[in-house]
Amino acid sequence: MGNHASVTRRLSLFALLLVLLVVALSIRLVDFQIVRADEIRTESLESRKETRTLTALRGDILDSNGEVLARTVFRYDINAAPKNVGPVIRYVDGNRTEISVQAAADELSRILELSPTEVLEKISGDSAYSNLAKKVDATVYNQIRDLDIPWIYWDRFAYRLYPNGAVAGNVLGFLSSDGTALAGLERQYNSCLAGVDGQETYERSAEGVRIPTSNVVTQPTQDGGALNLSIDANLQFFAQQVLAKSVSDLSAEWASAIVVEAKTGRILAAAEAPTVDPNDPGLSAPVDRGSRIMQFAFEPGSVMKSLSTAMILDSKTATIYETVNAPDRLKLKYGESIKDSFSHEPYQLTLAGVLRYSSNTGIYSFGMKVDEKTRFNYLQKFGFGKTTDLNFEGESSGILRPYDEWQYADRYTHLFGQGVAVTPLQMAFAYQAIANDGVRLSPSLVDSCVSPTGETLYAPERTSTRVISKDAANMNLQLMEKVVQYGGVGKLAGIPGYRVAGKTGTAEIREGAGYGERFAISFFGVAPVEDPRFIVGVTIYKPVGETNSVKATGPFKAIMQQALKHYRVPPSTSAPRDDIPSNRFGQTGE
Amino acid sequence: MRLMMLSANEAKRLKPGLFTGLVLVLGLLLVQLVQLGLNMALTQDAYYLSKLSSEKRQLATEVQIIQEQVDSLASPQNLADAANRLGMVANPSAVLIDIVNDKIYGSPKPAQAQASAASANLVANSALVTVSEFTASSVAAASVESSVADQPQASSQVALVAGQIPASPTR
Repeated sequence: MGNHASVTRRLSLFALLLVLLVVALSIRLVDFQIVRADEIRTESLESRKETRTLTALRGDILDSNGEVLARTVFRYDINAAPKNVGPVIRYVDGNRTEISVQAAADELSRILELSPTEVLEKISGDSAYSNLAKKVDATVYNQIRDLDIPWIYWDRFAYRLYPNGAVAGNVLGFLSSDGTALAGLERQYNSCLAGVDGQETYERSAEGVRIPTSNVVTQPTQDGGALNLSIDANLQFFAQQVLAKSVSDLSAEWASAIVVEAKTGRILAAAEAPTVDPNDPGLSAPVDRGSRIMQFAFEPGSVMKSLSTAMILDSKTATIYETVNAPDRLKLKYGESIKDSFSHEPYQLTLAGVLRYSSNTGIYSFGMKVDEKTRFNYLQKFGFGKTTDLNFEGESSGILRPYDEWQYADRYTHLFGQGVAVTPLQMAFAYQAIANDGVRLSPSLVDSCVSPTGETLYAPERTSTRVISKDAANMNLQLMEKVVQYGGVGKLAGIPGYRVAGKTGTAEIREGAGYGERFAISFFGVAPVEDPRFIVGVTIYKPVGETNSVKATGPFKAIMQQALKHYRVPPSTSAPRDDIPSNRFGQTGE
Repeated sequence: MRLMMLSANEAKRLKPGLFTGLVLVLGLLLVQLVQLGLNMALTQDAYYLSKLSSEKRQLATEVQIIQEQVDSLASPQNLADAANRLGMVANPSAVLIDIVNDKIYGSPKPAQAQASAASANLVANSALVTVSEFTASSVAAASVESSVADQPQASSQVALVAGQIPASPTR
């Protein structure tokens, strides 16, 4: 029995130890699985977790035909880790080959267009980072990647590319190197174009491979919307070509041309020369990086006269048959005098005659019959003195002083475009009102902003303002037609087959207290007269040696003709009215 | 500890059967094998997924390269330059034929080599990297070495119906 008792005791001891072990393990298990469970899980996850920012792509900017004017691509900074630099081992057809540092540097130098010495300098030392090249494109990146050099790495980043360069660069604006929108539509519509970056968290193994079924927490990226413009890139390019040639031929400071769709207010082209290539804004002078069409206001000169005749007609101050005596110089009561641009015998001019001969004295005699408050109201309704609904970055409101502050010359100079400052945009839309039965529409450069899923995020609200009556507008257009039909300079703006109405302008430019010797020459016109489709406004600023607007008619004609051709506008089927008196005797005909 | 007396039959009944044990062991083995198989498949797929993502990135890069080339070739600057190099000049005098009223608007003039309207590109574009490449001979050859089969030529003889010259139904 003694033996039996010993066995029983040993068994009891074993059982006790076993129970103790189980209890100890259970305590540990509870500690790991319940008490410190969260802490351990977090610690474990931290060691495997990888968080990555998913870059949202900035939306494209497209022209009215869907041609891409701005897109987001990727560029690469190529870097080296000099402290790891050493011979590169490659396996070619299973054979181990060792490439020396010198040979690897040669390969890099050929791709990066650097000298081998430069590359060797950059990769020497014991730092962990040395930049070899910045902003290389995907072709270069692919070549570098294929070299498979372990001490070469790269940073990929989003980059804004403008495939058409300076085409509409003045309107598009540009981004800074860190992707901040700095100017133009890029800046104005940043909330449409910029997306929202996403975030991705996943677990990965020691080899860097993502662990399947690991808990991926993703905040999805929201790519930016596409901005659809009213700009027609082909027409815009054509206009920029014409202007670039004019600026160079005339040694002008700059030139601008705007093409507006008469019945919608859509801006089809807003061209300038010189202008900015948004791919590299630093290549342009700071003054050329904006859009003068929207941002630069100046005294427009005689192009204003056709708006003065419009208010005279609309207020029924004079009919198209009434004449005034228009000498080449008119002495006013304060001793000052106004004169026409050329010497002539006193003319008897109708409203059409005033436009045809661009007579300052004639428009003064007609215009002063309309009271100042009425004229001021018309000027306001034509859109002068305040910014348009375009809300373009840095848009100018121009200058239009309230009528109760008009003094001396202010009371009449606006009739022939002095004493008021307007932007080419404002002037084009004043003409648009005349071309659109007297209703001025809000200008638009953007048709819509569409999200990547096809949802329209933004479409501009179009507003309209009745400026003059339909009859007055249509009649005024026919008076303006006489400028192109018979006018000495205006005739050059004529387009065979189409009825064109317009007005020349040779504006003096204020310099200090007086006016300088160089002018701002312009031509603003509408075609076809019987059913207006386009308004084209050309301004050439400070051409050398030009004292009239002859050189502005060529670009106008070229651009208007291109617009008519491009949009397949059939030639006019009617002839200009022949019963509108416009000659210097107040009669019809030449 | 208690000892009991058992008959041979009872002892046999209490002894675990070899079959049951075998089923248990094989069952466990099977479960382990299936688990191993699944793990292997998952791991394999993870590597496959990783490879596909890298392939996708590479293809996206290829697309970007080609897209940029197309953009560059389609830019008006390249087209203007290419046309100019081919000797083309813009003809500012457009002529319109009004077939309804039998009228011609404008006077046709041949384009001048020194035309007033700009023909070569004057608008800056620093994104212009890929440009149209051709030589006068390659352009001339392109029309000859066309891969499109020649169309059978229609008879140049005008077929007269009832003695009348056929007219286009345009008007």
